[in-house]
Amino acid sequence: MASIVDAGSTNLQAPPPPEQGKEAGAFRLALRALMRSRTGFVGFLVFTGIVLVCFIGPFFTPDNLPSDTSKIYGPASWSHPFGFDSEGRDVFVQVVDGGRTVILVGFLAAAISTTIAVVFGALAAYLGGRVDSIIVTATDIVLTVPSIVLLAVLAAFYRVGSAWALAVILGVLGWPGLLRAVRAQVFSLKEREYVEAARLLDLGTPRIVLREILPNMSSFILMNFVIGMTNAIYAMAGLYLLGLAPMEGSNWGIMINFAWTRGAIFFEGSLGYILGPVLAICILQLSLVTMARSFEEILNPRLRNN
Amino acid sequence: MDDRKQPSGAPEPVLSVRDLVVEYRTGQRPSDPVHRAVDGVSFDLYPGESIALIGESGCGKTTLGLALLRLLPRLGRIASGSITYRKRDGSTVDVLALNESRLRQFRWSEAAMVFQGAMNSFNPVLRIWDQMLDTIRAHDRSMSKKEAWERSAEVLREVELEPERVLKSYPHELSGGMRQRVLIAMSMLLRPQMLILDEPTTALDILTQRAIVDLIHDLHDRLDFAMIFVSHDLAVAAELATRVATMYDGKIVEMGDVRDIFYRPQHEYTRSLINAVPTVTEDRKEVPSHG
Amino acid sequence: MAATQGLDEPVDAPSRPARRRSTARYVVGRVLKALFTVYVVATATFFLVRLLPGNPVDVYINQQIALYGLSYQEAANQAAGLFAFDPNESKLKQYLDYLAGLLRGDLGTSLLSPGTSVADQIGAYLPWTLFSVGIALVISFILGIGIGMAMAYRRGKVFDHAMTLFGSVTHSIPNFLLAMMIIVFFGVQLSILPIADMRGAYSPGVTPAFSLEFILDAAYHAALPMFVYVLTSLGGWMLVMKSSTIEVLGEDYVTVARARGLTDRRIQVQYVGRNAMLPLFTSFVLSLGFVVGGSILVEQVTQYQGIGFLLYEAVQRRDYPVLQGILLIVTVSVVLANLVADLLYSRVDPRVRIAGEEA
Repeated sequence: MASIVDAGSTNLQAPPPPEQGKEAGAFRLALRALMRSRTGFVGFLVFTGIVLVCFIGPFFTPDNLPSDTSKIYGPASWSHPFGFDSEGRDVFVQVVDGGRTVILVGFLAAAISTTIAVVFGALAAYLGGRVDSIIVTATDIVLTVPSIVLLAVLAAFYRVGSAWALAVILGVLGWPGLLRAVRAQVFSLKEREYVEAARLLDLGTPRIVLREILPNMSSFILMNFVIGMTNAIYAMAGLYLLGLAPMEGSNWGIMINFAWTRGAIFFEGSLGYILGPVLAICILQLSLVTMARSFEEILNPRLRNN
Repeated sequence: MDDRKQPSGAPEPVLSVRDLVVEYRTGQRPSDPVHRAVDGVSFDLYPGESIALIGESGCGKTTLGLALLRLLPRLGRIASGSITYRKRDGSTVDVLALNESRLRQFRWSEAAMVFQGAMNSFNPVLRIWDQMLDTIRAHDRSMSKKEAWERSAEVLREVELEPERVLKSYPHELSGGMRQRVLIAMSMLLRPQMLILDEPTTALDILTQRAIVDLIHDLHDRLDFAMIFVSHDLAVAAELATRVATMYDGKIVEMGDVRDIFYRPQHEYTRSLINAVPTVTEDRKEVPSHG
Repeated sequence: MAATQGLDEPVDAPSRPARRRSTARYVVGRVLKALFTVYVVATATFFLVRLLPGNPVDVYINQQIALYGLSYQEAANQAAGLFAFDPNESKLKQYLDYLAGLLRGDLGTSLLSPGTSVADQIGAYLPWTLFSVGIALVISFILGIGIGMAMAYRRGKVFDHAMTLFGSVTHSIPNFLLAMMIIVFFGVQLSILPIADMRGAYSPGVTPAFSLEFILDAAYHAALPMFVYVLTSLGGWMLVMKSSTIEVLGEDYVTVARARGLTDRRIQVQYVGRNAMLPLFTSFVLSLGFVVGGSILVEQVTQYQGIGFLLYEAVQRRDYPVLQGILLIVTVSVVLANLVADLLYSRVDPRVRIAGEEA
């Protein structure tokens, strides 16, 4: 004889209301990622700070730095946090002035490579067949040669005219990695039902790609954009150090080159001169990396520490 | 309270669960709310019988099954209650008090578990034989490889599989139904006294389901073990169980003899469950008698 | 030690379905593809060096004519000796000669070390890079997967957070800048490291041989570059292994293994470890391929005479045959690594067996 165990609280409740739909927009997701992750948020703040200093700061710095030969490799002090360089100029001012180019080149290079990767990756995955094979083969070939080696060899043959040219070159070499990832993602999204539906409704390729597929990958693309920036900045710093990039103007890369080649390893007082730009680049990279990691956490919930 | 009537004579229960409460944290922080998946469950399991735990998804039945072997995931924990197990020699074991190494010994040799969808229950990089050997070696270091092979072959034959071929295969080389059989065989390796099955037929196609149900039924008849199986498939429950417990929202709301539950459900939830089953030809499945 | 130090993207090898491929056909196909890639890069190099306007061979010839008053013929002959093909012939013939030379292993002669073949030069510098970068790669891989797995097991705890922070920081610092700062801080400012001593691949006066003395000396000199490589790439391996391990820990078979009463150690190694490592295996082999090309910056900073160092010298001195040769060697090694990774993967993951090897 069966018996009722618990007569009380089993009013069959209605199921809980469905979760609020998650926005797929890139910036909302980015914001959420940053809110979630403390380090990501700090990274974002630091990055914004650097951008502000580098773009607005120069308005406050003297146009022509006085070079004071009595102060060559002068020591650091509160008013001159990084001391003086090999020509007696204030290093800190140079650091403030020198970030614009680095950030802009990095940004531009990443924009170029991200655009190429997204456009061609999506096309390759979506159209399939011949187009796909060609793009994949091209990608594999470009991926094969390490970009620094290629850049060095190219620099031997052809002078790089300006920082913009540098950005373009970096951008044009940086897309293979991302393209593969984009292609893989689009492949998997292609099979989802809403894309099927759109295709059945005959909405046309560009529209489907733009409206259905890409918005769902927006945070993924954003994350890779940030990573692209770090790669470009790394390559740029390297090329400047080697003297293979256009040495005109003043930026952190050039400062590092001068500091190193003019004997930072010999003069004790030169610490500030080399430390300034190196620290600046490292902090910039760190802020970008932490932001990118927080995006990654959002994309891959398993990485979250909760 | 629950039905503790013993089928015949007065054998002691193999398993006694009292007021078991299992909680899941919803987040890492202490402030995160806690969800009670099992909310004060009590029942007994007698030697040789089989209990079906039925209920809808999310009612806590899988969690209950995992809790019996203390296999809860990271965020879960047994908050209170007791689980007492009686070995064949009559001695009792307080399962919740076992230390790590005793718990490891206890698992599989006294009580084994067959998981839902054996699709992914095997290590993909090891052959079946290696995994059988692993299991045996974890409990009995003295068994020689030859003996272990013999034993593995024996259990595989019990589930109607050909040992030679299966033991040398990798898991992905076997079909879903075969993997389910292998998992059942593996659970028999150490001749446990209690077997917990979590949705043994859910991920399979109809024909394979039939075969597996028959297999389980057959094994249960021939071998000496008590069985708890979790299922949302009432037909399977009707076929395999001697007693049925209905779970809702972490509690057992009704428990009784299988015929009583199906023919004369008392609790409104049980009734709604049974009525929810769409009928094709007949009103109720014929409930087979258990010897 | 790839040239780019970006975040490690999750390896683009989505869990492969158990595809059956005919062994011979598959291997041949992959080899052909690899050869094709090398061929394309070789051709592109030829294009760069010979065919573009303002290309080095023409420049060289014109230089010789201008500086030494040679006739075009004579200058061309000189160029022929250096570049392993004859500028007097038709472009097509030059191309074919170039390819033929490659197949023979003739990469031409170094412009600025006349008499030394490019192959010899590369042969003298390459082993040092392989030594330093190769060993560093292995060390950082092993450490990385160990720490990564530990992080996954201690998720959310202090260790995890600390290591993540550590990994992020070390990963963002460009490796050559780290080398620079170590030299400046510890070598110049604090005078702890005898940096003058540590320059170069080995101490002058020590003869290269397979002796313990030499090996220790080599290790001493390689210490700084290796340290920098290990530190900056550790973070990447750690994080990928951590996420891979977390994924594996969530799999059913781990719970089943616990249910079967297996020891934690056994589960960690055979059930979790082996499966978590699979996605990293491909990355690792590919990284081996990039070992050859990825060191120019660090070697320049530490004055370590590996192939990156040679590359820089060649760039500075416009030693085109050497540049050409290095580019090719680097490409070949990456292609080779790709091939090996692809073919070996089936050994490691039984789900991707090549048909014909079934038990």
